[in-house]
Amino acid sequence: MRAGRGAATVTVALLASAALAAGGDRPERWFEDVTARAGVAAKHTNRVFHNPYAEIMAGYTALGAAADVADYDGDGFEDLFVTDSAETGRNHLYRNNRDFTFTDVAREAGVADGNDAADASADALWLDYDNDGRPDLFVVRFGRSQLFHNLGGRGFRRRFRDVTREAGLDRHANAITAIAFDYDRDGDLDLFVGSYFQPVDVFNPSTPRFFPESFETANNGGGMTVWRNEGNGRFSDATRQAGFNVSGWSGWTLDLGHGDADNDGDDDLYVACDFGSDRFFVNNGDGTFADRTREAIGIDTKKGMNAEWGDFDGDGWLDIYVTNITDDYMREGNFLWHNNGDLTFTDVARETGTYDTGWGWGGKFLDYDNDGWLDLYVVNGWVSAGPESYVPDIFAMVTRPDVDFTDARNWPPMGGKSLSGYQKKRLFHSQGGQLFKDEAARHGLDSTRDGRGIAVADFDNDGRQDLFVANANAAPFLDRNIAPAGRWISFQMEGRRSNRDAVGARLRLTAAGRTRLRFVDGGNGFAGQSSRRVHFGLGSAAGPVKLEVSWPSGAKQTFEGPMPGHAYRIVEGETPRRQP
Amino acid sequence: MTRPAAALLILLAWPASAAPSDTPTLPQLEAALAADPNDIRAANDYRRAVIQAGEYDRAIAFFKKLVADHPRAPYAWLNYGYAYVDKIPAAGSITQVILANNALTNFTKSIELERSWIALYTRGNSYLYWPRVFGRGPLAVADLEEAVAVSKKAPQKKVYVRAWIALGDAYWRTDQPDKAKAAWREALALFPGDPQLEARLARDGEELEKYIYDQLDPAKRVDTNLSPLWEGP
Repeated sequence: MRAGRGAATVTVALLASAALAAGGDRPERWFEDVTARAGVAAKHTNRVFHNPYAEIMAGYTALGAAADVADYDGDGFEDLFVTDSAETGRNHLYRNNRDFTFTDVAREAGVADGNDAADASADALWLDYDNDGRPDLFVVRFGRSQLFHNLGGRGFRRRFRDVTREAGLDRHANAITAIAFDYDRDGDLDLFVGSYFQPVDVFNPSTPRFFPESFETANNGGGMTVWRNEGNGRFSDATRQAGFNVSGWSGWTLDLGHGDADNDGDDDLYVACDFGSDRFFVNNGDGTFADRTREAIGIDTKKGMNAEWGDFDGDGWLDIYVTNITDDYMREGNFLWHNNGDLTFTDVARETGTYDTGWGWGGKFLDYDNDGWLDLYVVNGWVSAGPESYVPDIFAMVTRPDVDFTDARNWPPMGGKSLSGYQKKRLFHSQGGQLFKDEAARHGLDSTRDGRGIAVADFDNDGRQDLFVANANAAPFLDRNIAPAGRWISFQMEGRRSNRDAVGARLRLTAAGRTRLRFVDGGNGFAGQSSRRVHFGLGSAAGPVKLEVSWPSGAKQTFEGPMPGHAYRIVEGETPRRQP
Repeated sequence: MTRPAAALLILLAWPASAAPSDTPTLPQLEAALAADPNDIRAANDYRRAVIQAGEYDRAIAFFKKLVADHPRAPYAWLNYGYAYVDKIPAAGSITQVILANNALTNFTKSIELERSWIALYTRGNSYLYWPRVFGRGPLAVADLEEAVAVSKKAPQKKVYVRAWIALGDAYWRTDQPDKAKAAWREALALFPGDPQLEARLARDGEELEKYIYDQLDPAKRVDTNLSPLWEGP
């Protein structure tokens, strides 16, 4: 018996140690879903139309779930604006309570009413258009978009005022995306608004012929409008003067992304388009752009949905990530445009493992493990509904001879069917700037809700980038980064001669012999806006860093000595100040 | 028309002084095919030249007229279908669907006229490119089983391994993994060392699924060169 007991004890011990080893071998999870606990779990609801084409439109308007980050009250903690799209749905302004919980103050602040019978929220953008140091809010809508001026005030008493009409922005459009950058470098932020449908009243269309004329070369979309900031609180339509639409381009815009492709000090523009070719416009430096699509990226026939810029391979040139549709019925593949340094790009999505994410939507670069290399989070899926597939219906239409695609009546209703539904989100971890490995399942970030927008921000100021994901017709996710602390440093930039938000400022940081390029982006990525704070993961670099800043004004500054593990504020022309 | 007769016509159509090189031009090949619409070799040469020139629409228009003029020529219909397939890699994703659908229609016409190995294999293989939701897997199995049966009655040719490979793929895609493996194993006995068979037999589960999925990527050009039918072992 004793021998038996002893053997049993040994067996138990061995099993226990094996179990521990198994537990130890199991990869650690570095994100924690805190959505409900944080108070940001309000579900997004798609718009339901009430017109003769409502059943058809339902299949093509599963949009409007957006998330946008800014420290709107200036308390040093990032807040969130999240859209809904239902006719009675309210938008949310989640004020950060500084303990990883949030309070929805949208009603009190006057920014909740983004939806009604004639308007549907599609996206939003924080921008300090009047350079007063307070983030203002632009709500992008099918219908008439809204500009809210941030009036200031302390804490919960902070209010906004609708200034759309006096700003000259009260125009009907089916806007779906917006970014802001100072394209003419006059010191204030200009507004670029992309529209999906043409400016028909999609709620009560007077004609059924407002759908895309082609799946691959459609040019009857809403295109893009450039609103030049006049510096007096007003914007003027400068689309034509800036060189857009002169060739008659009017694509089905889904996303806009800006970045300095040629390191010449001004920002260029990528336009991601559904049903036809993406476009690439080079900033001429004189307030105009040149269409360089053919030379830079070529003409494609895909379904571009995201335009995110970042130097993923650390070569000092900004690259671009674009999502398309990849499924067994449509194998387009995403683009990872590697910047060749001569205003041309080469697609390396296959080579880097970022080609197939399904039906892709928002994609954002971030460095979630602070190793100094940009990782990539991509959310996917169009409509996750019943078990039946909508693919045969759409193929039946496509293969019908001489079908008029512009006529909504020719498109089959989706009903309760799914199309590219239940697709997992992907967290691509950079393997030293060359390959990416999907780590979404490991970190619990592989949900199959229909993802749309991503906002990356360090909500608790702990030096780790957290994630907020807006899902269509579903609750969002707030995922807190709990990765083992890595070395990091961040910079909040503030322009003086440059726009106050410092959008477009480029930061080159050198630590432990390696230089990394980051920049302040003005809302890149589909249906999302991430923190303006520029975050650097530093890997094992422990000592002081060297930082070179190229401001949008053209000014350059170099700093030696900022220390890892701290957040700094840099005002143009001044030295960095460490934040508490 | 027999093959030598077609060749003679081609020669007649190319006076030495007019031909800039040994390679026949598209008009010359079209003239040859108009004279013998069922000449599978001439059609193959023509489509090779079309791919080189990127003149896909020209080929589609040519074969459209050819089958209208010669509706009883099975290989004209077959090559008409191939003309659509040849254009697929150059097309956008939705146009690919239209092209593939048109190709299938023409392959069916060819089979209705003659149940040849090449037509059965071609249509069966084409079904494999369609997403599962279309339920074309069983149709692929039926065509490819018949193609394999046809090949078993004919003198062995290396090209017949393609139907075996596709048949296994069809079984796999219709959730019959054991039959897939059995087909590939049987084929390997007939075609020892075939790398595609070995690659499939070396994989399983998701790895095999991905391998087959990658083989059926419409962005990759499908090998529609029919010369192995009359060249090689």
